[in-house]
Amino acid sequence: MEKEKTILIVDDMEINRIILAEIFKESYNIIQASDGNQAIEALNANSDISAVLLDLIMPGTDGLGVLRDMKKSGKIYSIPVFLITAEENEKMLIEGYHLGAVDVIRKPFMSHFLKHRISNIVELYGHRNDLAKVVEQQVARLNYLNQSMIEILATAVEFRDSESGEHVKRIAGMTKALMTEVSKRYPEYYMTVDEIDKISKSSVLHDVGKISIPDSILNKPGRLTPEEYEIMKQHTVKGYDFLMQFPDIIDESTYRYSCDICRYHHERWDGRGYPDGLKGDEIPIWAQVVSVADVYDALTAERVYKKPFSHEKAVDMIKNGECGIFNPKLLNAFEALIQMHGNPSDQER
Amino acid sequence: MELFDELTALGVNVDDGVNRLGGNEALYKKLLGTFVKTVKGYDIKPDFDSENYDDITEKAHAIKGIAGNLSITPVYEGYTQIVSLLRSKEPERAKDVLKKILPVQVEIMGCIEKHSG
Repeated sequence: MEKEKTILIVDDMEINRIILAEIFKESYNIIQASDGNQAIEALNANSDISAVLLDLIMPGTDGLGVLRDMKKSGKIYSIPVFLITAEENEKMLIEGYHLGAVDVIRKPFMSHFLKHRISNIVELYGHRNDLAKVVEQQVARLNYLNQSMIEILATAVEFRDSESGEHVKRIAGMTKALMTEVSKRYPEYYMTVDEIDKISKSSVLHDVGKISIPDSILNKPGRLTPEEYEIMKQHTVKGYDFLMQFPDIIDESTYRYSCDICRYHHERWDGRGYPDGLKGDEIPIWAQVVSVADVYDALTAERVYKKPFSHEKAVDMIKNGECGIFNPKLLNAFEALIQMHGNPSDQER
Repeated sequence: MELFDELTALGVNVDDGVNRLGGNEALYKKLLGTFVKTVKGYDIKPDFDSENYDDITEKAHAIKGIAGNLSITPVYEGYTQIVSLLRSKEPERAKDVLKKILPVQVEIMGCIEKHSG
């Protein structure tokens, strides 16, 4: 019968390893290690180990050393470890338990009890690991569905603006690429890959406030009057107010990014943007990044009131301050990104 | 007299040892041979240094473990006492126990060697 599960037996005494292997050979595949270093190597090389039977006292890296390594790598949480001992060394056993060992096997081994104890714990860990995988999959699916709903909402708003919905996708892609470049170049703006991913996902909601802007203004083919422009500017605050009513739609940090991006993506480095006239790094870096991405995309896209500008022209206009003043570090990163990859709209999300 | 009978007469719990291996007598016999080689390699003598005996403690601990697992009861019990005395820093008393257990150990190992050829 093919055995599904594998046990790692770690003991410097060959006799003890052979006896344990003999006890478990019918139910498990067996891997043997004669010292702590071999055990760590075996754990790294085999992802299917269901339990470790670990001698405490060994020359070189001892059992506690193996436990410390397993704790560091996180393996201790998914693989049960049984300490093998021939005596009552209370201090070592307590440390072993603290490091995550589940039980103690005393020498001489009592085969019958040993088989049952280990099989029970292995089964329990198996269920627990399966459950953890299911929960992880469900969380990923929920997050995916949640993000889909958010994108549907953002796309619906874009449709009113005679956009196909591609705008929000391009913004998300550019935001991710530009935020990554800024984070890489400037330690003061460093963010983890996970956080950058959240910022990119949050960026799709930047114009959600446009839902409150009348069609006559949103789709006006000509230049807006000063009064109309004032109404148009309100989409930042309206979007922010709208999101403030739904704090539970996304996780806490993504929510914060979304609110900031909604409200501040028209602020400018010199304080001449809107709605709050924030200046410099008073504007959160994620909102600054979305500003550049949004301006670039607006320039290169066709709108009811204008023809698209070329990529080169759009880049020049941004650098020359024709669309407002941006953070110089951000512009450096933007330029580096263009030199590396060309058109930033082509960045994958 | 067969090996297992002789060992039983010397206090070894052969049935228990064989049962631990799921009844595999051949493997038990093979491991008895490994036991002899291992213990000979350790070469513990009662004249060890009474100030510095960590190495002796480790060796005695190892012999205790394998003797217990093979149910070589007299050796297991002797080394259980020795390890305990060494851990509690009583090397002289440990030496006395070692002096008593060594002839028994030699006899058991001799018996195993006699039948291994």
